[in-house]
Amino acid sequence: MTVTTADNTARAKGLTALANPTRFLALVRFVIWPLALATALAFAVGLWMSFSVPDDYQQGRTVRIMFVHVPSVWMAMGAYIVMVSGALGVLVWRHPLADVAARSAAPFGAAFTFLGLVTGSLWGEPMWGTWWVWDARLTSFLVLLIIYLGLIALWSAIEEPARSARLAAIVVLVGAINIPIIKFSVDWFTTLHQTASVVRMDGPALAPEFLYPLLVMALAFLLLFVTLHLAAMRNEILRRQIRTLQRKAARSARGGAA
Amino acid sequence: MTTLFGTKYFFYIAASYGITAAVLLSSIVFVILTHRRHRLRLRKLEESGLRRGGAKS
Repeated sequence: MTVTTADNTARAKGLTALANPTRFLALVRFVIWPLALATALAFAVGLWMSFSVPDDYQQGRTVRIMFVHVPSVWMAMGAYIVMVSGALGVLVWRHPLADVAARSAAPFGAAFTFLGLVTGSLWGEPMWGTWWVWDARLTSFLVLLIIYLGLIALWSAIEEPARSARLAAIVVLVGAINIPIIKFSVDWFTTLHQTASVVRMDGPALAPEFLYPLLVMALAFLLLFVTLHLAAMRNEILRRQIRTLQRKAARSARGGAA
Repeated sequence: MTTLFGTKYFFYIAASYGITAAVLLSSIVFVILTHRRHRLRLRKLEESGLRRGGAKS
């Protein structure tokens, strides 16, 4: 397939159009309810499939924890990749919505990371006989939560938006080194955590009766993240508009007093 | 579903799904409440005579 200059120009125009907050807010208004509906449907089907699977021959009924643990972990890393795109948008293209996108993804990334850690612990105790071990996978994943919390604190601590955007973007890009460490830690180090069983070069190692519910639940988590992220971006744009108006009000009050 | 109850692993499975539901629902509620709060604040500011750059007066 040949990508023409006209195609590229149209794509660039589309991105530029979305850089306009008013157009972006209109788009969010248009897609948010269909997305929310699709999320609810995916969760309904995913939960039904999750509780309809047979017991695993080794893990018994605890295999059902996989259907919330694995999607949480995938979305924790997915949210970070969204933040990396946002950071590149801030530093390279200076896209007006890039910082909004990165900043809005952080709380959900932290929530998914927290869920990954807690559900992993709840799965580990009956299967491994321990809630926690300081192995490479678990520790690097805990580091991801610390990075998320640090970034949220950084964004809140610096008042000046352009400065906080640039600083956070640099930290996001530095912290991105942790993502391949999480992914490959089970191959590089001897860990209690099992190696990858879905995203593998030679295809998934999971039996179809476990793989399909997992994929449907992963789709539900992805749809939920997209819906929440768009809604949070809308909230962040409104917050910035409020801030602009408050500054305008403060300036006119000072002008009136002088 | 009924086979879950009475199993020795019930606590671990119920806690995993319960905590996941609590965190995800809290996130949804947080986003909705934040949106309402911002819209209310913005409306009040606009009612006081201030206008956004792109807004029609």
